[in-house]
Amino acid sequence: MSVAVMTAKPAPEFRAGGTDLSERRRSGVSQGMLIDISGSGNKAITWDADGAAQIGALTTIATIATDARIAAAYPGIGASAQGLATPQVRQVATLGGNLAQRSRCWYFRRADIDCLKKGGSTCPARSGNHLYGVAFDLGPCVAPHPSTMAAALLAYDATIATNRRSGLSITDLLGDGSVSHADHTLAEGEMIKSIALPAPLERERASYKRAVSRTYAEWPLVELCARVVIAGGKFQLVRLAAGGVAPVPLRLTAVEVQLSGKIANAASIAEAAKAASWGAKPLPMTAYKLDLLQGLVRDVLERLSDELTT
Amino acid sequence: MTTTTINGRPLVLPDDPDALLIDVIRDGGLTGTKLVCGSGVCGACTVLLDGTPVVSCLLPAQAAADKSLTTIEGVGAAGLHPVQNAFMAHDALQCGFCTPGFVVEATAFHDSWRATKGAATPSREEIAAALSGHLCRCGAYEGIYRAVAEACSGRFDGNDPIAPRLEARDKVTGLARYTVDIHHDGQLEGVILRAHVAHARITGLDLAPARAIAGVAAVVPLLDDDNMVRFVGAPIAAVAAKDRRTALKAIAAISFKPEPLPAVIGLDAARRDDAPVVFEKKDRKRAGNVSEGAGGAPVSWKGNVRGPSAPFSQKAKQAKSWLDEARQQRNPLLVEETFRVSTQQHASLEPHAAVARFDGDQLTVHISTQAIHESMEKIAKRYGLPHDKVRVIADHVGGGFGSKGSVGLETIAAIELARAAKAPVRVAFDREEELSVAGYRPAAELKLSLLPSAEGRLKALSLTAHADTGAAVNSLIAGLARLIYPAEAKELVDFDVLSNLPPGAPFRGPGGPPMSFALEQAVDEAALRMKVDPIQLRKRWDTDPNRQRLYDWAAGLDVWKNRKPAASQTGRYRRGVGVATGYWLYLWQTGSSVELAVKGGRIVASCAVQDIGTGTRSVIANTVAKAFDLEPQDVEVRIGRSNLPPGPGSGGSRVTASVVPPTLLAIDKLKTEIKRTASRTPAPGSNAPWREMIAASPDIAVSARRQEDGKPPPGVRPALHEAGIMGRVFGWVLRLMNHMVVGAGVPSSVQVMEVEVDTWLGHVRVLNAYTGLAIGKLAAPTLARSQAAGAVIQGIGYALYETRETDPLSGHILSGSMEDYRIPGIADMPKLDVHFDEAGFEHVPGGSVGIGEVATVPTSPAIANAIRDAIGVRLTEIPFRPDRLVAALKGRDAA
Repeated sequence: MSVAVMTAKPAPEFRAGGTDLSERRRSGVSQGMLIDISGSGNKAITWDADGAAQIGALTTIATIATDARIAAAYPGIGASAQGLATPQVRQVATLGGNLAQRSRCWYFRRADIDCLKKGGSTCPARSGNHLYGVAFDLGPCVAPHPSTMAAALLAYDATIATNRRSGLSITDLLGDGSVSHADHTLAEGEMIKSIALPAPLERERASYKRAVSRTYAEWPLVELCARVVIAGGKFQLVRLAAGGVAPVPLRLTAVEVQLSGKIANAASIAEAAKAASWGAKPLPMTAYKLDLLQGLVRDVLERLSDELTT
Repeated sequence: MTTTTINGRPLVLPDDPDALLIDVIRDGGLTGTKLVCGSGVCGACTVLLDGTPVVSCLLPAQAAADKSLTTIEGVGAAGLHPVQNAFMAHDALQCGFCTPGFVVEATAFHDSWRATKGAATPSREEIAAALSGHLCRCGAYEGIYRAVAEACSGRFDGNDPIAPRLEARDKVTGLARYTVDIHHDGQLEGVILRAHVAHARITGLDLAPARAIAGVAAVVPLLDDDNMVRFVGAPIAAVAAKDRRTALKAIAAISFKPEPLPAVIGLDAARRDDAPVVFEKKDRKRAGNVSEGAGGAPVSWKGNVRGPSAPFSQKAKQAKSWLDEARQQRNPLLVEETFRVSTQQHASLEPHAAVARFDGDQLTVHISTQAIHESMEKIAKRYGLPHDKVRVIADHVGGGFGSKGSVGLETIAAIELARAAKAPVRVAFDREEELSVAGYRPAAELKLSLLPSAEGRLKALSLTAHADTGAAVNSLIAGLARLIYPAEAKELVDFDVLSNLPPGAPFRGPGGPPMSFALEQAVDEAALRMKVDPIQLRKRWDTDPNRQRLYDWAAGLDVWKNRKPAASQTGRYRRGVGVATGYWLYLWQTGSSVELAVKGGRIVASCAVQDIGTGTRSVIANTVAKAFDLEPQDVEVRIGRSNLPPGPGSGGSRVTASVVPPTLLAIDKLKTEIKRTASRTPAPGSNAPWREMIAASPDIAVSARRQEDGKPPPGVRPALHEAGIMGRVFGWVLRLMNHMVVGAGVPSSVQVMEVEVDTWLGHVRVLNAYTGLAIGKLAAPTLARSQAAGAVIQGIGYALYETRETDPLSGHILSGSMEDYRIPGIADMPKLDVHFDEAGFEHVPGGSVGIGEVATVPTSPAIANAIRDAIGVRLTEIPFRPDRLVAALKGRDAA
């Protein structure tokens, strides 16, 4: 049931695992030339002497999810990888592909509806049904960014190297949410090659959780990757990156600032969690995401502080 | 040239970079691997790539280059895997369409588990995580948990178990062939061109450009003779071509001019006075039908609103005036609430599909259908063919749930394309078609007022339902409230609200779950206000003898007796327990016939009935085996062909009650005939006299038609008798028009649900489900339990997750993929306790009635009542998604 309305000239696309692309090929949303890179890229995780890791762009999500050293050094990365998609998809999907995947917006993924991401001039979700849209309305398109790993990498200050650029932050890679025609800033022909993670801090811990309706295998309504360092019962570092709420993964800096130096207990967390909505601009149908975001901040930070203070 | 190894054999892979692995596998004849979602979320296409489970629907074919592939056909090739044995023994399957994917994944999990953990038993959580990439619509999860746990613990190493489901082996090995798997020589693929606007007149339809494309064999128009399309996805034309890609190219080449007309989308917009009208008066007969039966009395129709239809009201004016009076007096016992239920898609894993072929004037159609015999009759009538020139076949059907009860567009398109192309044609809906234009349970708004008397009796009830039926009519929701909880007066009014959305269709207990969702919450609310135990209030108000026994069972459950009051809970996680009641009609189909024969020393039972996962084969085999002291596997059951004796459709839960009685008659006849023709009697003291006599018998055959029931005991009446004269009229119409009889006694279910609500993340989890069922004697006990479990999980989906999303302006269905239409997964299955009360149907020959529908009716209100118990807030709109929970907890309206 597909007749495509394509207003833009189809661009060539790289294919790694194909878990996002194959569905868009079947539906007719992707019609450009295919460049298969699955056989040729970097699939390794390497470690520096200082404990920093580099992850090849073609490393599968399953590899990251089950790597014991990643779990120890970057538990937020491992847990995020474990929490996304299904076991079969994780076996094939790659880290680079997860970052470069296209939006899950209902309207974008239908070939017969025009939208900003397909070269159109309006966002049909904004005037139509945006139940799963953003709660931080930062640009013309109202779809949240789909990459779980991008939020995790944002929490860890990861940098990305492409075949043309290097040292890109997640914000450099994905933009600030104000640009609607794409889900990333990669130019035609530019591909992600590797991802570098800074050496973990001493005694840092991290966690990841998503709010969903079923137990498994559902795109998150809201998701959160949190890193903390707690010393003497106080937060020395809080780093929160949320997905599902904005056109790009979002740092919750207001919460981070408020908790810095505070006693790590349920009361201070509950108070600071209210600041998770700072800067939010929900759509008519998405105010609930702010409640869920606040709940996730409390959930994840309470668990981490319980773990570290008892 | 690149190659792969598939089940040990080399296979050349296509160079086309867009070729997907699933197509390579299936085109090569290995049809055990199923295409369902096409988006990697359901796992039906799972295969092993170098031993690792992957979804072949997303994997480029080239990714298998120089690797080793194992499909379901390769899993059990050298003797069944312990997982396959365990799936058979624990009935971890129903329709079987998802089964190959589950089995492939579970064997990989089993093998790695055994390699590291020996014979330890994995936990439910470990199994759920491992199988989280699979979905089963029948809801076989309970059996799957048991099967995987016990296979891992080594209980099924090497043994060949007895399967309670007759065809289980074919389903766990991938050999069961469904309509989508049929492939004739020279078969073409058919694709339907559909409208992309919600309302338009089509002019200038030009099929010639499609016909001109190489590889296109036929193009036929499908527009109705008024040339109108009234919903996005309405059919315009169909193409048959050498492959799907060519057919898609051809439908894109068809040209036409849509003259757009104003459209209106959904229940609220369509009720406005200035709403564009979907069906003008002259076109009203073109609307679809959302009920199982024929239409009742003529109903008024204004704009898009068809109704009021209130044949089952009882002293409606009296009810109104009492309720008005109670409102004025601010009677604290008066319960008034507006409830909303959502659209539920059937989401059968096998899509609507048909394969048609003509051999001279003989038409053979494989159809994924719930009604073999009736489909044959209707096709014969439509195309003016004698019955013996039409053969309908459905050996296995991958789910239906009500959506495959009539001759659908897939069948018509396949037949017309096959005739035009002079070649066999397959038409199989893609997932988006299946989740948008293949029918659904309509959403509805239900306004309810319920008034107990000062003495604590039920005095008056008013229920008005507006159903969101799309381009269809005939919803019956409110009227069903007549047949439960007798009151002094009832005002029960149904409306259809038509709009430019695809037509609704019957779905498992049509109207039952929505009615129960409203009424059972109102009864619960009345109990709270009257400070009476909700089960005891139901015992007082509900006179049905079957449910009286079920209430006693429910009241005795520890989970009910140990409930905590809601006010005592203030933490993040809150638990609650809720109860609800449901009923369905006991129906059987007149003329249902069964033939029993001895052929080559073996009993063969034949009936033109189908098995949509409900266990028809086993019901017949068990009945015959019991009478002759045989094992069910000793009986050959032939179904799924229209040239067998006429059988019932799989709708209205009527199969068991239609086929068991004539089978019993035929058994008596066959016994007489075997004895009469026996050349010698069995040795005195033989342990298996019938087995010996059957083995020695010449080939003989007898047949029997469904007899009338016996006289029911006093007080046991057909449910419709509760509805006075209109109930009897409705019963006569059903018998005359639909060959369905409403028998005495009411199949009933009482369910108790325990939930946990996460008040931070708005998440509801059903922890424990208790379902009590009175459906008479169990013809196939293990399979009845599977049905009960499946009905509960489908009800959980209805209550918590499932909803169709539409664009309110264009009328596009946005939830057309399995990612976006959310059916429950294995981890969402609660622990389940099933209680069968086998009394109440002794007047039915065999004592068995159907289970499919009644078992899902009370699930959503039981969950709603449990949530009310947990958080002290009553949610009135399903699904109870996180957005609605957090809004309710904050006293805010949800979007």
